[in-house]
Amino acid sequence: MNMNARRLDFIFAVLLIGTALTWWMGETGHAGPAAVLGILAIAAVKGTLIIRDFMALRGINVFWPTMVIGWLLLVLGIIMGGYWKGL
Amino acid sequence: MQYKSQSVAKLYFIAAIGLFVAQILFGLVMGLQYVMGDFLFPHIPFNVARMVHTNALIVWLLMGFMGAAYYLVPEESETELFSPKLAVLMFWIFLVAAALTVVGYLLVPYAGLAKLTGNDLLPTMGREFLEQPLPTKLGIVVVALVFLFNITMTVLKGRKTSISIVLLLGLWGLAIFFLFSFYNPDNVVKDKFYWWWVVHLWVEGVWELILGAILAFVLIKVTGVDREVIEKWLYVIVTLTLITGIIGTGHHYYWIGTPEYWQWWGSIFSALEPIPFFAMTLFAFNMVNRRRREHPNKAATLWALGTGVMSFLGAGVWGFLHTLAPVNFYTHGTQITAAHGHMAFYGAYVMVVLTMISYAMPILRGRAANSNKAQVMEMWAFWLMTVAIVFITLFLTAAGILQVWLQRIAATPMSFMDTQDKVALFYWMREWAGVVFLIGLLVYIWSFFCKGEDKTAA
Amino acid sequence: MNSPAIADIKVHHPPGDLAIWVFILAELLAFGVFFTTYVVTRMHNVALFDEMQLTLDRNAGALNTVFLIAGSWCVARSVAAIKLDHRAASARWLLWGILAGGGFLVVKLFEYSAKFEAGINLATNTFYMFYLSLTFFHFMHVILGMVILLAVWLKAHRGGYSAADHHGLETGASYWHMVDLVWIILFPLVYVMR
Repeated sequence: MNMNARRLDFIFAVLLIGTALTWWMGETGHAGPAAVLGILAIAAVKGTLIIRDFMALRGINVFWPTMVIGWLLLVLGIIMGGYWKGL
Repeated sequence: MQYKSQSVAKLYFIAAIGLFVAQILFGLVMGLQYVMGDFLFPHIPFNVARMVHTNALIVWLLMGFMGAAYYLVPEESETELFSPKLAVLMFWIFLVAAALTVVGYLLVPYAGLAKLTGNDLLPTMGREFLEQPLPTKLGIVVVALVFLFNITMTVLKGRKTSISIVLLLGLWGLAIFFLFSFYNPDNVVKDKFYWWWVVHLWVEGVWELILGAILAFVLIKVTGVDREVIEKWLYVIVTLTLITGIIGTGHHYYWIGTPEYWQWWGSIFSALEPIPFFAMTLFAFNMVNRRRREHPNKAATLWALGTGVMSFLGAGVWGFLHTLAPVNFYTHGTQITAAHGHMAFYGAYVMVVLTMISYAMPILRGRAANSNKAQVMEMWAFWLMTVAIVFITLFLTAAGILQVWLQRIAATPMSFMDTQDKVALFYWMREWAGVVFLIGLLVYIWSFFCKGEDKTAA
Repeated sequence: MNSPAIADIKVHHPPGDLAIWVFILAELLAFGVFFTTYVVTRMHNVALFDEMQLTLDRNAGALNTVFLIAGSWCVARSVAAIKLDHRAASARWLLWGILAGGGFLVVKLFEYSAKFEAGINLATNTFYMFYLSLTFFHFMHVILGMVILLAVWLKAHRGGYSAADHHGLETGASYWHMVDLVWIILFPLVYVMR
């Protein structure tokens, strides 16, 4: 098995852990600004990993990762703003 | 011209331009009636002028699409048209039917026309844009089916390209959705619901496929960019168009009695409708920048780029302006809609037909491109008409904003007619811009008769 | 003599066809608008949204997240395999990716049928309007992604891709990852966050 595949497996494991964490926070009824921040942070990490490693935008012309990661952070930012204002 | 049968396109193009003139003349009559209510009354009442203005537009665009298809399909399929004779016959039937319909509108009161043409057998008349009497509607169906048969057979016996397939998809969709003009439920909500299946799914659905295919064809010809590249763009644009356009129908369902979720669906998806138009703009400029040849027909390239820009502005931006349900709550049915309608129809469909005519007509007349002098004149026409439509749109938008304010938002709202008086200044300015448009159109027609040294023979 | 130019292209363009990336950006924008609308609407209906969220099947949502990231991982492994010219392995990974997508669809259909049996529809309330619209819009994207992957798999299965030429495979993979990426936001937003 080569390095690249091993890296992908590792990222898959991280994504699974992130998903489990998010699910656990839901199950245990975590709510409120801190929980929202935590869940969004997990989503940011997961999203960035998918964009950089699965979509393979790592090391590409800066325009593309900026656009897609920028989209991710913008959407997560809007969600956070909306939740904090609404809570 | 590579294939002899392509020449049938010429008939369609000439008739299209003729009806274009009629459309503009009636537009000017109507524009004047906005400020001089009794102008030409009782000979041409406002409702008749409006009917001729909109119906002539639709018919000449259909003629343009058909002409474009007759020109484009043999060349794409690399074979002669299945039956040129049938194409010519259908042209005359269509033209005569269109002429009779207009004469009917002008000479017989609408209710009388309905009685005369058997509207009681199958009521289809009286709906905006679909005012045609039953025989005309049936004629349109026959002409469309024979046309589709002819085009489809040509594609089937020849080379199948993405462009001709997208074009066929658009044209078949056009015919199929027209069938809903025969469906007139008594329930007013349902009636409106399906009426939009013709009106909306034409201009914001299948017509866009026709637009994309024609634009792609002309861009391949004038830029020499690889077909593969252009087709790829075409697929992206078509997919985006269909997703946003079909669900975007919801922006007509806000206030007609349909369930509330249409306000969400309509708002969100139609807010995305500018995307395919933006992609089209990028596409046109990108291809022209990457061109591999300098085609002698500069005017056609200008029209193609113009289509990219003006369709985005007219359909995309001006559509977006009033498409969100909370905004549309105030703006629906005001001059804002008229502003959008004018720029969108011109920017998307008028311009793409003129792009095709500009590219094909010189070739149909035996030369690769018109003389420099004729092209300069055609470009003048381009700018006159385009700038005029921009001003028409701006004046109508101004009128619309004022109208919304006075009639719907103000603490003590004014009545419709009082409001109309208040915005009369903008109507006058719109009318003058319309005169400039007519001048542009006349220059355009004149450019066909302009002699000058031919640069190249076909 | 072409190698610098090729390297140059590799650095400048994302994997797969440029057209699919234009499409991906358009899709992301669409979902971005959807998410924003959801958040803004929730701001005005916090109580309703919080109450209704509890009626969703969070386990199904989490299971579906696992399906999608697994599918994404399989397809990433497929691309990694073809870069080493392991054609059979690449096709096999691709098939696993498609199966993961199928798993997602099955779970989602069970979820939908439970909701429909409970008499829930688009007109039930604003939360359910969003839940159904958003997830269904995404559902259609999963189907489209699977259709694309299936087309790619048909070619991969015949050994149509190689270490030197796997443009089409990367194109399909990029789209599939986008479908996953969107769900990474959708799941916490609609099912968990309160």
